[in-house]
Amino acid sequence: MRKKQKQKIVLPPELPPEVPDDEIQVSDEDLQFVDQNRDYAGFVSNLDTKSITKHVTRVADVKDDALESMYERRLRKKSADKDKEEDEVEVDPVDALPVKTLDGKLYYRTVPSAAKKSETEATAASEDNGTATPMVKLTKAEKRAKQKKLRKEAKKQVKETAQSDEVRQAPQSEVLDEVKKELTAEEANEKKKYRLAELGTALLVDPESNIKSLREMLQIAKDGDHSIVILGLKSLLAVFKDILPGYRIRLPTEKEQQMLVSKAVKKTRLYESTLLTAYKAFVQKLIALEEQAVYKRVAMRCICTLLEAVPHFNFRDNLLVAVVKGISSQDDVVRKLCCATVKSLFEHEGKHGGEATVEAVKMIAELVKVHNCQLHPDSIDVFMSLSFDEDLGKPESSEVDNKTKMKNSKKKRKLVEPNKLPASENKRSRQEIISKTREEVKADYKAASFAQDVAERRRMQSDTLSAVFQTFFRILKHAMQSLASSMGESFSLPLLAPCLNGIGKFSHIIDLDFMADLMNYLRKLAGAGSQKNDSHHLTVSERLQCCIVAFKVMKNNLEALNVDLQEFFVQLYGLILEYRPGRDKGEVLAEALKIMLCDDRQHDTQRAAAFVKRLATFSLSFGSAESMAALVTLRHLLHKNAKCRNLLENDAGGGSVSGGIAKYNPYATDPGLSGALASVLWELNLLTKHYHPAVSTMASSISTMNTVGNQVSHSNISPQQAFVQLSHEHESFIPASNTKKTSNKRKKGCRLSFPISSASKDELMTLADENAVRNKLSEHFLILDNIVENERLRTELYCTNMSLKLCEQYRKQKKRIR
Amino acid sequence: MRPLDENETTQVFEKLFKFVGSNLKNIVENPSHEGPDPNPGRYCFRLQKNRVYYVSESLVKRATNIKRENLVSLGTQIGKFTKTGKFQLTIQSLNLLAANAKHKVWLKPTSEMSFLYGNNVLKGGLGRITENINPNDGVVVFSMSDMPLGFGVAAKSTQDCRKMDPNGIVVIHQADIGEYLRMEDEL
Repeated sequence: MRKKQKQKIVLPPELPPEVPDDEIQVSDEDLQFVDQNRDYAGFVSNLDTKSITKHVTRVADVKDDALESMYERRLRKKSADKDKEEDEVEVDPVDALPVKTLDGKLYYRTVPSAAKKSETEATAASEDNGTATPMVKLTKAEKRAKQKKLRKEAKKQVKETAQSDEVRQAPQSEVLDEVKKELTAEEANEKKKYRLAELGTALLVDPESNIKSLREMLQIAKDGDHSIVILGLKSLLAVFKDILPGYRIRLPTEKEQQMLVSKAVKKTRLYESTLLTAYKAFVQKLIALEEQAVYKRVAMRCICTLLEAVPHFNFRDNLLVAVVKGISSQDDVVRKLCCATVKSLFEHEGKHGGEATVEAVKMIAELVKVHNCQLHPDSIDVFMSLSFDEDLGKPESSEVDNKTKMKNSKKKRKLVEPNKLPASENKRSRQEIISKTREEVKADYKAASFAQDVAERRRMQSDTLSAVFQTFFRILKHAMQSLASSMGESFSLPLLAPCLNGIGKFSHIIDLDFMADLMNYLRKLAGAGSQKNDSHHLTVSERLQCCIVAFKVMKNNLEALNVDLQEFFVQLYGLILEYRPGRDKGEVLAEALKIMLCDDRQHDTQRAAAFVKRLATFSLSFGSAESMAALVTLRHLLHKNAKCRNLLENDAGGGSVSGGIAKYNPYATDPGLSGALASVLWELNLLTKHYHPAVSTMASSISTMNTVGNQVSHSNISPQQAFVQLSHEHESFIPASNTKKTSNKRKKGCRLSFPISSASKDELMTLADENAVRNKLSEHFLILDNIVENERLRTELYCTNMSLKLCEQYRKQKKRIR
Repeated sequence: MRPLDENETTQVFEKLFKFVGSNLKNIVENPSHEGPDPNPGRYCFRLQKNRVYYVSESLVKRATNIKRENLVSLGTQIGKFTKTGKFQLTIQSLNLLAANAKHKVWLKPTSEMSFLYGNNVLKGGLGRITENINPNDGVVVFSMSDMPLGFGVAAKSTQDCRKMDPNGIVVIHQADIGEYLRMEDEL
């Protein structure tokens, strides 16, 4: 196509300036050289100079007139250039980079020396630019870009002239340079942005043909400016997300490449290979940039989005490595991104066929191992979104079935074969052919369908599960070791809580062999804080969590054996006393109460009674939320264990039901040995006068449980719900202001009527005037002090009175004696 | 009646320790509120006619007034010494053991009778079992309603129990309350 167009008429290059022969002086060395090497240098004399000049000076297809005009134009251009160069001061390339046109010519930045000339020269320059470029067919986009560039340059030159008009020239030229540089940088950035946008849309529209523009986009992304690089990365990300196919690209092997293939296949191969190389470069760049702090978030975001969108594609492993590394990063944003990505990977297994899950879990296990369990809890939290097949824990049954089937079939075959031998062999061969074809069809079907092999899936899941439990056990062991070893040092177990959660969730799949070890660890951890030395212990919440998990594990494995977890009950008994409302989490306590006491079917009577008594004591000491939770559990226990109801009777000593122990020991550590059956629940009486109406009604209903019978239907809320309902955030009742009831005259002066409306805590503080409160309080305490002082003085007075009386009596007696 | 000498005391405590473990302290230092004395005395062990009794001190004081051949028994019998000098726990110690037992086993209602006839406890009859049982530990057997039925020796650990088939022996029978009827004469 191009050959038919008007060819560029290239004038022969200028000849070097003619130097007359006389002035040429040849050095002696040169003469010597030529003499020595006559063979080499001899050709020079044989040159036919005339024909050479003829060849060089002729110009094809151009008539004489045209030729002349062309020469003239060339001369003119030369002079114009020279003029331009004389007028303008060439800027040092260090200050402002030159511009390279599509032709390849460099235009150095020049400062206009004369203001008036610059305009005309600008137009002249643009004209020259236009004519100097070869007549190549430009694509529309490139034309557009070029035109934009030209327009911009013209605009800029105008701007410059305007500026230079105002400003003096010589000392301000440097400032001008800088301004121009910024402007040019901005201009360049704008251009690059437009370029990125164009390339991106072109790729999305027709990826196959425009695949090479990926390279250019990558090039732009290697720019020095931060914002440009970020924009480049983001646009590449958007493009790749849409372009990447739904299958892994496997590059053709040597053999395949040598084969003769059709054009379409070649085209696809080319497309795929370019795509793959570009993607590879992109991924490498992302991973490299992730190290630098400036780009960290952007690069991380790109990596995460890629992993989520195309987890099946090549280079998934590299991406996965980067993401798993970021799971425990200090930066909140990065960490949340990575955790969300990993969670989505686990949840959407269909996209990548389960392999990514296995790899990710293994990598996380490695990470935990390397960091010695000092990671952020989010990193283990991602395990909670794993899901396994329900029958993963029972692989033996299917194997056994298979084995029996095999045996049966073998037996049958053995029996059948000797019978059939005399029968027609044709039939047998035909049957064999039939079965063979069936198997072939099956194999083909399997290969074609994308459904996963069941065995394969099971294998991957068991791999994942073993890695997960490996991590959990490592964390538990680490916790044990740090408890055992560190004396007085503070250590942190950040991973313990999510680890326990995970164990609780997956407890139904755990192997029986591990269960003994697991229970051992849990028991030791739960008992860890009960030592008197306060140097190292787990918090109450953590220990409660251990108990809860132990019970969950036990419950999920009931068919194995119903084990009574005596130790954990002892721990819980102690933990109820150690609980402190501000420091420990009430919800965990409520959950523990529910799981261990309410859900459990059978209880030792002594133990149940011990818990009843301790819960009653507990509910007296804490706020309404905890009290409510304890009372709910209490009622439940009393309901279930009829023998404990004699605690409601006013029968100290327990009578005949007290078991072996005659006296209640409130500080006993073992609930079975506390002798609670011999005590009485006097706390309920006090609780009926509780300020919270719900608590008081509950207490009164419990105390009348024996007499009323089961007529009143009790609401079956769990202790957790009770706790949540009554916790501070939902504080929404108005206690009856009992100012009139206080008959205590001493406290008259300090009556604080505080109707707590449904305003939240914060508003409460602002509503009550601080000063008024302070005044009232100071009054109150003053009065109290006075009262105490008063009493003291009174006692002294009384003492002195008594001693005086004694003295008088003594005197009287003395008188009498006398 | 005489107090136990060293050898005998060690034997008795060893046997008790198998069942009650660290609660042995509770047994030995149990304050007794019997008798007119306001200060609670202690319990002690006394030997009478090869049988060991667990008695409160106030009772012992009063029992010294009775002639040796006329004294049949005092307090609670916990066991007896055989002719060869070995100590065996008898069923009368059940209350004491049950109150302080470390290892307990609960039987299903269907297999209670079998145990009360003197048979061993099979895994199929097991309702609940405390964890951490090792072989040759003393185990107290309860019914599901928490009534002590007897005691025995554990044949397997709790962990092994999980994997056993339903006809395996879990607890080897030593004494049960059915003996009050079966072996009335020998007690």
